[in-house]
Amino acid sequence: MIRKYLREISVGVAYLVLLGLLAFKSPSFFQADNIRQLLVEIVPALVAAVGMTLVIITRQIDISIGSVFSLCAYIAALMAHQGVPVPLAFGTAIGCGALMGALNGLLIATLALPSIVVTLATMVIWQQALAWWKQGAPVASLPAGFHWFGLNQMAGQWIEAIIALLIFLAFATAMRYLAAGRAIYATGSDYEAARLAGIRPKLVTFNVFVLMGILTAAASILNAVIMEKVYPTSGDKLELRVIAAVVVGGVAISGGRGRLIGVLIGVALLGTIGRALIFLHARSEWGATIQGTIILLAVSSDALDRSRR
Amino acid sequence: MTQNALNSVTMAGGRSGLMMRLLPMSQQLVVVVLLAIEIIIFSIVGRNFLTVENAFEVIRQNVEIGLLALALTPVIVAGGIDLSVGSLIALCAVVLGMSWQDWGLPLGVAVGVALLIGTAAGLLNGLLITRLGIAPLIVTLGSMSLFKGLAEGLMSGRAPFTHFSTWFNELGNRYLFGFLPEQVLIFVVAAIAFGLLLHRTTIGRTLVAIGFSFDGARYAGVPVCRRLLLVYCLSGLVAGLAAVIYVARVGEANAGAGRGYELYAITAVVLGGTSIFGGRGTVAGTLLALFAIGILRNGLRLADQPAELAGVLVGTLLIVAIIGNKLINQLTDLSAGRTLSIRRERGNPT
Repeated sequence: MIRKYLREISVGVAYLVLLGLLAFKSPSFFQADNIRQLLVEIVPALVAAVGMTLVIITRQIDISIGSVFSLCAYIAALMAHQGVPVPLAFGTAIGCGALMGALNGLLIATLALPSIVVTLATMVIWQQALAWWKQGAPVASLPAGFHWFGLNQMAGQWIEAIIALLIFLAFATAMRYLAAGRAIYATGSDYEAARLAGIRPKLVTFNVFVLMGILTAAASILNAVIMEKVYPTSGDKLELRVIAAVVVGGVAISGGRGRLIGVLIGVALLGTIGRALIFLHARSEWGATIQGTIILLAVSSDALDRSRR
Repeated sequence: MTQNALNSVTMAGGRSGLMMRLLPMSQQLVVVVLLAIEIIIFSIVGRNFLTVENAFEVIRQNVEIGLLALALTPVIVAGGIDLSVGSLIALCAVVLGMSWQDWGLPLGVAVGVALLIGTAAGLLNGLLITRLGIAPLIVTLGSMSLFKGLAEGLMSGRAPFTHFSTWFNELGNRYLFGFLPEQVLIFVVAAIAFGLLLHRTTIGRTLVAIGFSFDGARYAGVPVCRRLLLVYCLSGLVAGLAAVIYVARVGEANAGAGRGYELYAITAVVLGGTSIFGGRGTVAGTLLALFAIGILRNGLRLADQPAELAGVLVGTLLIVAIIGNKLINQLTDLSAGRTLSIRRERGNPT
């Protein structure tokens, strides 16, 4: 039992140590409004990380999510700005995310192209197309129903956290108990064996990329409603933060292995560091160093553990 | 033993030796045609495009990315990847500035320190990949964040380093004989060195073998770990060199140096026909693709088109190139009756 959940436990202990340090050094970190702000910061990364977990378990990768994130949030904001009803704007953004995911999935699943190259290309295309289209201008003066879904700030923050938690629980359950979830593990651990067992690995791969697009769009909306203005660069470097959190959470990059509960802890740990540094009166510029060290430590411990067995 | 190993590796691909030779060429041919089309279009629509000065300007602007692409070619041929090179430029640039201004070292020595840091960083990547057996994509994703973070941390709250000595700035801005930028000479030397390493030495052949089949190369007696360490160290060293040239050209060392360069470099390598799964690729292809991307960006600028259009086109080109590559692969597989490419069909991200 301990052996099986070793990664989740060790990352969880690291997170508790961080929280303990904060409780000792800077108890004001645990004020309710600070916690709510922290939750809201983590939520978009968590929703995107759920999608990335599926992609990595399928033994693929998607580095275009930062660009998809920026583009979807921008489309939603622009439509809302021009008077389209807010739910319709959100729906369109999610549809666009699904389409962009489907394009990746089509190239990767049906043409069997390497996902790292395909998504590298689509990342550059969407990012540059958006920069060309709007030259970096943010969308301001959003309608009342957009900011915090038209609620007050505190209610909006709780709604955000609840939506993310529901998405997380739905996928965590599906991955463990539904045939569709097991098909994802099967495709990632042995493509050919999965095909012989009657699973359609091409279809699974395609669907996973569509889901990745939808979840990225949902994450971008959860992020956009926090903002006064929506910038066309809102998703910059998101792919790296998300892949890092997924890997720290114990998902194997070689596919077929990993659990969403670990990813939740990984997202929480990496997402808390930035804010924690401020409360510990350390320079926030060192955040990336600590993040990089955690990634390397986590994967190294994995490798050492493997060689000892 | 090693010689036997090499023979058997050559034999494994030897059943369709001619096809194996032609494969990388076919994609290079596509890039050559592309280059020709670009040059024709831009000579017509661009102002001052087809001049010697502009040709060298294209190279001068792309030397740093070009160096990274050269060093990444053997890394990717050997089945690896290095995402950390862009961040490493930032770290080396900051170390260069600090060792010169804060520690009072002569600028020449500071350049040496920057190159040393680059090599050490490459060694760290290589050790984590070979000794612990972690996927290169993940190791360099982590070290990318680490190097970037170190550069930002060291620079936190201070102004960029400027006012370097004249000779140093000339390295990035002086033209020999009135037309040849100094750093282009360095680039040419590096290109020849990497071309020789990959195509004319046994080390280069073993790199191809490792990329083609890691276990196969190991059973055949290739010192796999040492070879991989070498390519990652070289990748780090070259990132240090690119940092020095960047600082000399821009005249400023800060933590923002080299941002996003790794993606352009990887794009050039893949567009040039190197397989992302390893085992196939040429330095000449990388050079051609570098020119194709560089000329595209330069020509669009001279034709008063937005810079972002170049990005969209490069991304599209990359997809078209790998689809073309795939189709050619399948055609040759059918004609030669090979089953070797099954391994490549699996979408392994690393």
